[in-house]
Amino acid sequence: MDLNYTPEQIAFRAEVRAWMEANVPKTPLKTLEGREGYDQHVEWERTLASGNWGMVTWPEAYGGRNLDLIRWLIFEEEYYRAKAPLRANQNGIFLLGPTIMEYGTDEQKARFLTPMAKGEIMWAQAWSEPNAGSDMAAIRSRAVRDGDHYVISGQKTWSSRAAFADWCFGLFRTDQDSKRHKGLSFILLPLNSPGVTVRPIRQLHGETGFAEIFFDEVRVPVENRIAGEGEGWNVAMATAGFERGLMLRSPARFQATAKRLVELYRQHAATASPAAREAVTQAWADAEAYALNTYMVASTIQAGGHIGAEASLNKIFWSELDRAMHRVSMSLLGAAAELRTNADGSLNEWLEGYIFSLSGPIYAGSNEIQRNIIAERLLGLPR
Amino acid sequence: MDFRFTEDQITLRDSVREYLEGTHTPELLRKLDEHGNRDPQVWNGLVEMGLAGLLVPEDQGGLGMGLVEAALIAVELGRADVSEPIVDTAFVAAPWLAAKGQTDRLGDIAAGELKVALAHDVNPWIADLDQAGAVLSNGALADVASSPVVMDSVDPLRRLSARGALGGNDPLLLDLAALMSAAQLIGAADRMLALSVDYAQQREQFGQPIGSFQAVKHHAASVAVKVEFAKPVLWRAAYALQNGHARAPIHISHAKLAATDAAIFAAETAIQIHGAMGYTYEVDLHFWMKRAWALAGAWGDRTFHLKRIDDAVIGGGIDLGPDRTFASEMIHA
Repeated sequence: MDLNYTPEQIAFRAEVRAWMEANVPKTPLKTLEGREGYDQHVEWERTLASGNWGMVTWPEAYGGRNLDLIRWLIFEEEYYRAKAPLRANQNGIFLLGPTIMEYGTDEQKARFLTPMAKGEIMWAQAWSEPNAGSDMAAIRSRAVRDGDHYVISGQKTWSSRAAFADWCFGLFRTDQDSKRHKGLSFILLPLNSPGVTVRPIRQLHGETGFAEIFFDEVRVPVENRIAGEGEGWNVAMATAGFERGLMLRSPARFQATAKRLVELYRQHAATASPAAREAVTQAWADAEAYALNTYMVASTIQAGGHIGAEASLNKIFWSELDRAMHRVSMSLLGAAAELRTNADGSLNEWLEGYIFSLSGPIYAGSNEIQRNIIAERLLGLPR
Repeated sequence: MDFRFTEDQITLRDSVREYLEGTHTPELLRKLDEHGNRDPQVWNGLVEMGLAGLLVPEDQGGLGMGLVEAALIAVELGRADVSEPIVDTAFVAAPWLAAKGQTDRLGDIAAGELKVALAHDVNPWIADLDQAGAVLSNGALADVASSPVVMDSVDPLRRLSARGALGGNDPLLLDLAALMSAAQLIGAADRMLALSVDYAQQREQFGQPIGSFQAVKHHAASVAVKVEFAKPVLWRAAYALQNGHARAPIHISHAKLAATDAAIFAAETAIQIHGAMGYTYEVDLHFWMKRAWALAGAWGDRTFHLKRIDDAVIGGGIDLGPDRTFASEMIHA
């Protein structure tokens, strides 16, 4: 156990900090969940790519820096310290990218990873269907083989930022006689393909941050399939593992929120309740615990270990922490909590954050599903 | 930066765990409960494992290990509900004496010939004073008065005496003992979760194990989350104190807070999963539950440690933010 950064890691932190200080937009961008803000965030993705900071853990061949996980954590810490914008490309970077690296052919890697790293193509997910949410194996959208194409028909939903993105990736049933987990394939396609209709869905905050996608006999070349036909479930499980595991929610995000929360408390100390004060302290402590756990997991993975069902512990912890932190911010703001904008016209980020935090225990596999996974796979309770 | 245990540390932990699983069984706990709470054989076994001298320097007959190893072992002692004063003597008094340069009795501790009780103003009692060869009080080892006044703990295996005029407010003693209490709480929490899972696998209602019901699964899973996220906090606290970091007291308070919350939550959930059986003296659960209650209040309760964190975090004593996780300013700069 050595909880000190090496001189090289310290120098790396300084390098990231200098770049962020020079490049992070001085005024906050508009919300990622609306068209205008999304475009601003895509611009930021391209700025990141110009500094080669878009996909720091990726191999250099695909536009990355081949950084280990400890440096990734340092990068994230500096990213959030600098209040850099949210990642418009998070579906690509954290989910599809690692999936293609693990399961894609060399040709697919060359074709998809580099444009992703450059911020040229933005990705949306296409997993859930109206009748396949937590029960994802109930997927019915069909991809019927026709020569060297699939013909896709069906409906996907809760597809984050599909109204703005360029491509989507998801699971489709390629074996029409199959049931449940078998007979699914992992397929990528452009959202401007003939036969694709994207219907934006207004979310709780009023923006159209997610959408339904309708597929009406959409022709997709077979080479857009990742891994073998019928192997989609295993590929998707690996992808879901990335999502709820390490990469999607780095601890820095919550530590930055905890720090802002302490500052908010200090501004409202005169009127805040003792309960709010305790919740703020607890928030700092829990964000710290999440960071420590992540460093342990990163150290283990770096030494050749891996995480499986433990990822479900993470997902529950960060999502419930995020909600708890924003809940107390609402109580500190009191009557001002309901205002969409602050006195200076900027967005009330606590309110936006609170609304967003309510989705955390649902997306990336609901926390009920995570608790089932923990009980059955980590603790050994009967299925 | 490498937040992992060494293979040697894991081997040491596993050997202690295996030894305690084999010798320090629930049957033994029940026997101790009926026959005076202490058994020289248990103490001798721990001494033979080398635990009494774990933190005593090698040139004084010990193994010369550090607080990270001690915390790892203290978790195992909590998991087994060991009640002999091995933690107080070997993992608190020994490193305290070594840090203060009071080394003349360290050899006796390493040999298992001296049990040390700990007196501090934060507790109204002293544990195992009646069997101790010395008491650490007001910054030095003192003789034990002939017949201490016995106090009755909810934990049937704790032996408490009134603190009387002994005590003092030594900060290092408090930090060491709070850290090791946190470690034992984690071990107790782990064990209570394991007992709950065992019970839920065996107990059948509606024709199936109750552990197949989501309501029960989710109880157990929530405990697992709480316990697993307390552990890294404990390890970091031990590391910080071992290495003299200025923030060590905050990290220790964080560890005690997280471990207490995890253990109390594990206890309340365990009794719920055990149902009426959990409310009896007949199932093993109660030993760990009561140890958790006892250690939750010992060496600074939840409020005490929350306040120490609060003073630093909200009071502005420490820098906050994502880049400050491993800030390691030295205490003795």
